[in-house]
Amino acid sequence: MTVHRSILGLTAALAAALLPAGARAQSITLTHVESIYADAKKGALKAPEGVACTESGRVIVADTGHARLVAYAMKDGKLGGGTAIPLPEGAQPVRVQIDGKGDVLVLDRKTRAILRVGESGAATPVEAKGAPAKLIPASFKVDGSDRLYVLDGASRAVLVLDRDGNVGRKLDLPREGGALFTDLALDAAGTIYAVDGVNATVWAADKSATAFRQISKKLEDVMSFPAYVTMTPRGALLLVDQSGNGIVTIGVDGAFLGRQLAVGWEDGLVQYPAQICLTGKGEALLADRNNNRVQVFSLH
Amino acid sequence: MTPRSFLRAAVALGLLALAAPGAGAPPAAPKPDAKAATRQKLKPGANGALCLDCHPQFSDRLKMASVHTPVRAKQCTGCHNPHASDHGKLLSATGGAACAACHAGTVPAGAKSVHEPAAKGECQKCHDPHASATAGNLVKPVGELCASCHQKTAEAAAKAKYKHAPVEKGCSACHLPHASAKTAALLATDVPDLCLKCHKPDRPTFAKKHMGYPVAKSRCTSCHDPHGSNQNGLMYAEVHSPVAKGMCNQCHEPPGSAAGFATKTEGVALCNKCHNQQLATMLDKGRVHRPVLEGDACLTCHSPHASRAKGLVKAGGTALCGGCHSESVKRQALSRTKHQPVLDGDCAKCHDPHSSNAPLMLKPAITVELCGTCHNYQKHSSHPIGEKVVDPRNPNLTVDCLSCHRAHGTEHEHMMPFPKTTDLCVKCHQDMKR
Repeated sequence: MTVHRSILGLTAALAAALLPAGARAQSITLTHVESIYADAKKGALKAPEGVACTESGRVIVADTGHARLVAYAMKDGKLGGGTAIPLPEGAQPVRVQIDGKGDVLVLDRKTRAILRVGESGAATPVEAKGAPAKLIPASFKVDGSDRLYVLDGASRAVLVLDRDGNVGRKLDLPREGGALFTDLALDAAGTIYAVDGVNATVWAADKSATAFRQISKKLEDVMSFPAYVTMTPRGALLLVDQSGNGIVTIGVDGAFLGRQLAVGWEDGLVQYPAQICLTGKGEALLADRNNNRVQVFSLH
Repeated sequence: MTPRSFLRAAVALGLLALAAPGAGAPPAAPKPDAKAATRQKLKPGANGALCLDCHPQFSDRLKMASVHTPVRAKQCTGCHNPHASDHGKLLSATGGAACAACHAGTVPAGAKSVHEPAAKGECQKCHDPHASATAGNLVKPVGELCASCHQKTAEAAAKAKYKHAPVEKGCSACHLPHASAKTAALLATDVPDLCLKCHKPDRPTFAKKHMGYPVAKSRCTSCHDPHGSNQNGLMYAEVHSPVAKGMCNQCHEPPGSAAGFATKTEGVALCNKCHNQQLATMLDKGRVHRPVLEGDACLTCHSPHASRAKGLVKAGGTALCGGCHSESVKRQALSRTKHQPVLDGDCAKCHDPHSSNAPLMLKPAITVELCGTCHNYQKHSSHPIGEKVVDPRNPNLTVDCLSCHRAHGTEHEHMMPFPKTTDLCVKCHQDMKR
């Protein structure tokens, strides 16, 4: 019986080793629920490139083409509200995050600054104290302790700033193959995941790491130019393939798990999607830039 | 199932794992077999001569200046199977694999550059497998042969006012024909060592021409066209103004300084000293192309000294822009209908490479206007398009050229996203759907 069981175990282990990595983990499915085309005053959205959401139902959209933010509220799976929050003239809000205290942080592509935005729209640039050079943020994320993780083009590094803006950690970004990093994501254990859009690869650095290590092979067969990444509650990485018009899921071991959505004009299809956020209650909101809308999907 | 059958299954799975792609090297092609004739029990004197009975045209070829060794030895069976083969012309292996059986190592493992025909095993593109009038069994004399593919380079070299002597001697003076283990562009030796075989930097005239800068370790081809030029000193056609004026110290520390060849400042700050107006215009727009400000900044795309191309860009759009935007190049390559600017690598025809206020860095932002710069549909009847025509599929979109076409192409005719025109039309005109 023991011999029988050990042979069975060996067979199972070999079979598991032979199975493709994707078959060992779960993918996600996005089902279209609704699309948001306008604010509360029926003012149409224009080229929105950012969307952030919280579990409490707060949703902030970066209405990039109109240099403003728009605040919505998610209730019972439906999106309501739509209050415009004006930003300084000429601003180009592109990435939005909401920190633990409810502050809205937005990347302004025009001034190349991360702004902390109050409800009135008063915007204060985040100062990085101790940065090697003036920041050129390409993207950023905020963790549970309100630390800011900035993907900085100037220093070609990820800089970790405390709430007062002090740079506490600097992790150089790899330069292999003409890499151009487009975004980063964080997990609960403090691991930083960085996405190289040019080579369609994902890199990771543990909490105590001093350098990034490549976790995925080149995924150019399944995505064209990943521009944004976020972590799912199940611990997978959700990548927005901007040029490829889709959402790609990969495991934290770098294995490809699946691909969702396709190019098109109708609801449920996308054109150059920019940012995705997860409410934590089973919804995913996607800033669908070239379709001038935000789409709400249920996440399975 | 008995324990033994489980064990068998486990071993089989293990073997399967070993047989997975990448687990082992591909099988080597069989080596031309000099003893094949003996083994095939050919009649005495029949080796090769027997083949010539039916293939008499080879008699003349045997008299040519360069005859492939197995052919001269009349070992036809070295490469061909006289009875049957899975490969064309009764070859013992396909194309380059048959050649590699004897000429293994022609392309060193891990070579830095490999000539495309050699990489693809297309040996016959350059070599005649039987005989030729040119040494090395080349199908044409060297210069003529190289020019058959590298036509633009050959024509430019022939027309150049100032010739580079090694080019006159033939491409193989500097380039290897198959692969280079350590250098790019199939160079026999890397630059500058290759150049220094003829050019002596310690000569006073050399030092004077280079303003006393220690260029002996620099990349000569960043300024000079090794294939010939219409500019004095074999400079590329487009020369950066300070270089043309010999004002190297406008950007570099003075010659002989402790900092050596270092630039006075780094990155975009250096270029900004002269190009501040251009840079200000770029930065004033909503979207700045990331290479403009990050990393090597301007030098990501431009050469600081000289270039073959206008604007001192390092290469044409397909190579330069395609280095990062490879998906756009791939998409065009797969497209049934080619969009001329993309095909020409003229990305800047539609996109501003520095900055723009429009998504996709388009210039101008309104697609109808942009496409209208080449396509004159506005002068005759067309489908209603423009700011007042709302797309029935999406209330926040108006109908424009991109409502029906994808600018970098699709797998369907006319760069349309659907195989049939009707498939596209009924997306909006649903009442017409049958």
